[in-house]
Amino acid sequence: MVASLYAPSEAKKALWVFLEIEGGDFAGVSIELLSKGRDLAGKAGWTVCGLLLGNDVSDLANQAYSYGADEVWLIDHPLLGEFDVCGYSHVTMQAIKVGKPSVFLLGATPNGRDLAGRLAVRLRTGLNADCTDLILDEDRGVLISEVTGFGGGVIALLESAEHCPQMSTVRPGVFVANEPEDNRQGELVNMKVKLKKADIRSTVVERHVGEGVDLTQAPVLICGGRGIDGDFEILRELAALVDGEVGATRPPVDEGHIERERQVGQTGVVCRPKVALNFGISGAFHFIVGIQDAETIIAINTDPEAPIFEHADYCIVENAHKILPELIKVLRRERESIHA
Amino acid sequence: MTVDQRPIEIDDALWEELIEITDGKAAPCFQCGVCTAACPWGLVRGDPLSVRSIMRGAQLGFLEAQEAIWLCTACGQCEIYCPREVPIVDVFQGLRQLLWERRKTPAGLTTVLWSVYWNNNPLSQPPSQRMGWAEGLDLQAYDSSKHEILMYFGCTASYDSRAQSVARAIVQLLRAADVSFGTLGEEEPCCGEAVLRLGHSPYFQDVAQHATDIFEKIKVGKLVTVSPHCFDVFKNHYPHINESFKPIHYTEYIAGLIEGNRLILEGSLSSKITYHDPCLLGRVNESTHYPRVILETVPDARVIEMPQSGPDTLCCGGGGGRMWMETPPGERFSDLRIQEALDVDADIIATACPLCISCLEDSIGSMGVTKLKVHDIAEIAQMALGEVSKNDPVEE
Amino acid sequence: MPDLEIVVCMKVVPKSEEVRVDTETLLLERTGVRSEINPPDMNALEMALTLKDDQPARISILSMGPPFFEPVLRVGLAMGAERFFLMSDREFAGADTLATTYTLAQGIGKIGKFDLILCGEESADGATGQVPPGLAEWLDLPQVTLATELSVDQKKRIARVRREIKGGYEIHEVKLPTVISVKTASNEPRFIDFHRKLWAFEEAEVVIWSHADVDVEHGYIGLTGSPTVVAGLREAEVRERRKEFLRGSPEEVAKEIAKRLRGILN
Ligand SMILES: Cc1cc2nc3c(=O)[nH]c(=O)nc-3n(C[C@H](O)[C@H](O)[C@H](O)COP(=O)(O)OP(=O)(O)OC[C@H]3O[C@@H](n4cnc5c(N)ncnc54)[C@H](O)[C@@H]3O)c2cc1C
Ligand SMILES: Cc1cc2nc3c(=O)[nH]c(=O)nc-3n(C[C@H](O)[C@H](O)[C@H](O)COP(=O)(O)OP(=O)(O)OC[C@H]3O[C@@H](n4cnc5c(N)ncnc54)[C@H](O)[C@@H]3O)c2cc1C
Ligand code: SF4
Ligand code: SF4
Repeated sequence: MVASLYAPSEAKKALWVFLEIEGGDFAGVSIELLSKGRDLAGKAGWTVCGLLLGNDVSDLANQAYSYGADEVWLIDHPLLGEFDVCGYSHVTMQAIKVGKPSVFLLGATPNGRDLAGRLAVRLRTGLNADCTDLILDEDRGVLISEVTGFGGGVIALLESAEHCPQMSTVRPGVFVANEPEDNRQGELVNMKVKLKKADIRSTVVERHVGEGVDLTQAPVLICGGRGIDGDFEILRELAALVDGEVGATRPPVDEGHIERERQVGQTGVVCRPKVALNFGISGAFHFIVGIQDAETIIAINTDPEAPIFEHADYCIVENAHKILPELIKVLRRERESIHA
Repeated sequence: MTVDQRPIEIDDALWEELIEITDGKAAPCFQCGVCTAACPWGLVRGDPLSVRSIMRGAQLGFLEAQEAIWLCTACGQCEIYCPREVPIVDVFQGLRQLLWERRKTPAGLTTVLWSVYWNNNPLSQPPSQRMGWAEGLDLQAYDSSKHEILMYFGCTASYDSRAQSVARAIVQLLRAADVSFGTLGEEEPCCGEAVLRLGHSPYFQDVAQHATDIFEKIKVGKLVTVSPHCFDVFKNHYPHINESFKPIHYTEYIAGLIEGNRLILEGSLSSKITYHDPCLLGRVNESTHYPRVILETVPDARVIEMPQSGPDTLCCGGGGGRMWMETPPGERFSDLRIQEALDVDADIIATACPLCISCLEDSIGSMGVTKLKVHDIAEIAQMALGEVSKNDPVEE
Repeated sequence: MPDLEIVVCMKVVPKSEEVRVDTETLLLERTGVRSEINPPDMNALEMALTLKDDQPARISILSMGPPFFEPVLRVGLAMGAERFFLMSDREFAGADTLATTYTLAQGIGKIGKFDLILCGEESADGATGQVPPGLAEWLDLPQVTLATELSVDQKKRIARVRREIKGGYEIHEVKLPTVISVKTASNEPRFIDFHRKLWAFEEAEVVIWSHADVDVEHGYIGLTGSPTVVAGLREAEVRERRKEFLRGSPEEVAKEIAKRLRGILN
């Protein structure tokens, strides 16, 4: 059998969390993992360590403590300003060899998954992907991860008791972030690492946000049908709040309320978002084929018999014009409270 | 008659390929232009589909107007007027095949073929859900020694929630008439009509062969279809299956039940009904009588004809694979058709094809029409069943 | 300039909606279940073929899986790939992503020279998305995941990759050779080329490798080489749409929707 780089017997009773930075702040999932890590480690008497990589990011350490980190392992380096999976794996590996954690958690974000996938191989250890729950068997010191497969139809429990660190990536939103304890203290471990330019192996030459978005790839789809009477402005407002894209059925496109590129369905675009919110749409087959692969479908329609409800997870019999302003209000309030 | 004055560049290799793929079928064309005049695109576009010049291209070996090649709805209107009996629809399909070979097909069409390949339906629906609509109906697996007919539902009626109601209505009618019938369940093969019409002839041959093998194995006899599209390919485009194989559109079969007094419509439906002949029934397969037999049997209903009816029916726009291509508003034939139904003051526009229903209902919505409803003949007959038969546990 | 050598990693997946868990044995029931080529692997192959449309290239399909993968993946040959290598052996079975990536990497080593390794973003069954980065690690190559477009400059030995990110995209440049994972639905895979069909499905020779044919260490492959142990398996309770009606005033309902959005998105 493959042996991991260090054996479980050599591992420290520590749970590590990769602190992913997104737009100068922690990604939501990193905070959720610190919070969950705190709960798991607290019961087992382990330490929680945040692994913080970046260029000039030491300021973020305090925030990590407030969410539950006992230690922050900081690797601050000019070459770490941009996420590059090769550079990040290179330095993380050095930290892990020193810290020898029992458990290492990362967010199942695109970058988190990339990094985890490389590291697990380099460490010769098991990696559980996109977990939807984590349990720590305190007696054995073993992490049990719940994962799904086959489009969410099958749930499996995985563990890798013989290998260290026990790695898992966790989907954003699975765990709830704790309230921060503002004066919670922690210890900063300043890691000096070896990193040279040649260790960075891909360069981002362009980055475009908020343009050239491809409806087929949008994680959130806000669709309007004939029932919203051409008021796409309010859908755009909603979309902006949830980083979504606006789509439509054919009639509003025909009537010129929105561009043809945004028509969803058999003769439009076929999408596979995490969630599709549908306002004033009856649910004709030609439209449904465009959203049937959505993980979650929410429909708002005044007609309780509307066929779309047969295809929805959450059904709301109500006037879309009444729901939309309220939903925008709630989401806006939520946003403000996060940024406050 | 106008003749193109431009010099044309002829590419010999293309010419040979074209002649081979179209089997020289455009050869008899003498460029009279009757087809262009007959084609319904002329009714909705300032720039009609120049069928004549496409035939000319097919004769001479040039492939212009590639977009126009995808417009044809295979409605067959041009063919009945063509003095030279050019099989125009076949020529269009041949040209499409050439565009497949050159990988110059409109976006989205490859997905249709792949869906037939992996899902056994052109609609990107899970194959295991094919009989989802029939839950609780307790349909029997076909047994040629036991059953009068094999009921073939087809992909659209199996998956499109609107058309599913037609499938259910037909089941109820068959039960009301005590017909013993079976189905192929999840194993029902896609007929491949979409593939044929989109012009991928080699793949269509494969699909048809696969279905043929299944039909042979079960010793199929009478096969009744929901859709005129399935009916037409089985009847006119399939290899020989066996002596007893007989595809029948359900309107003919139900009309037979009525005429043989096996099915009695006793309920009442006091409506003015006009009938939209699907191209593949009314024109291409000259079946205009049976649908009307059913409608005329409905107690209290008044059947009125629209000006374009029978073999002269107006295409809904959904054939020829057009269901997978966008038609701009203002160019949808079904709008004209709905107007025609309104002009004869009908309450119901009846039809007998799931694709016609889609197009007509879509036009009703976009035109904001409220007084006219679209129903399939099977649904109308179902409504006209007497109370007793209606109590059969079929709904839901 | 030599032809671009592209390896496309492809696997066959069961139709998710048909997979069941046997409640007694706690194993996946896969018999009688229809399968298909993992959808993004088709996009990866299409991306390779698009490159080949414009420059001389040779495309090799590589897969690890049971023998029934062979007829299914011949589709790739019919679409335009030149070669197909199938690593098929009971010893490879039960592999987690560590063992899978090790085995595939050894297979790639045996294939020899390559410039690009293309994978799908994730599989429809295990759906870990860990194979592409894992492969890149074993082969010590750079990687770009979630690509939707790719161009290659053979002279400069550089690949330009469009990678989807939240609310937009980035253009990455990496040196060849590299591993790239391709987003589902980022292109429309071309259909079977019927001129290749006979060759692809009947004549073409598929290279089938058992563990003895490749340079693999026994402890690194299959179940033995897999640190990950399945401790439990069950079917999800909700496999179909929930069809749950949320009731209340618009304000209450809006709060309910927001709560669920938070759960889904975050
Ligand atoms: C060949 C062909 C291709 C097609 N391709 C596509 C395609 O790609 N995409 C597509 O979308 N369609 C397509 N269609 C059209 C499709 O058949 C339907 O007509 C269309 O999807 C209906 O759009 P809708 O639900 O917005 O409108 P409707 O069916 O008119 O539904 C409007 C709904 O809004 C509800 N409503 C009204 N007021 C309110 C309110 N205030 N609040 C909440 N609900 C309200 C009503 O109850 C109703 O259910 C195609 C049709 C054809 C024939
Ligand atoms: C429900 C479920 C959950 C699982 N969870 C885990 C887990 O958390 N951790 C773990 O280590 N294993 C897990 N596995 C096992 C894992 O599925 C296998 O190791 C599998 O061989 C590779 O992983 P993947 O399917 O997730 O591939 P992904 O990494 O999702 O696949 C990405 C791409 O890699 C390529 N690829 C993947 N497999 C092959 C192959 N066999 N041949 C050729 N190319 C390939 C394809 O291009 C594919 O698109 C799980 C399996 C199941 C059924
Ligand atoms: S078949 Fe119909 S649509 Fe096609 S060219 Fe003839 S008339 Fe026009
Ligand atoms: S009607 Fe017939 S002969 Fe006349 S132009 Fe058309 S195809 Fe040719």
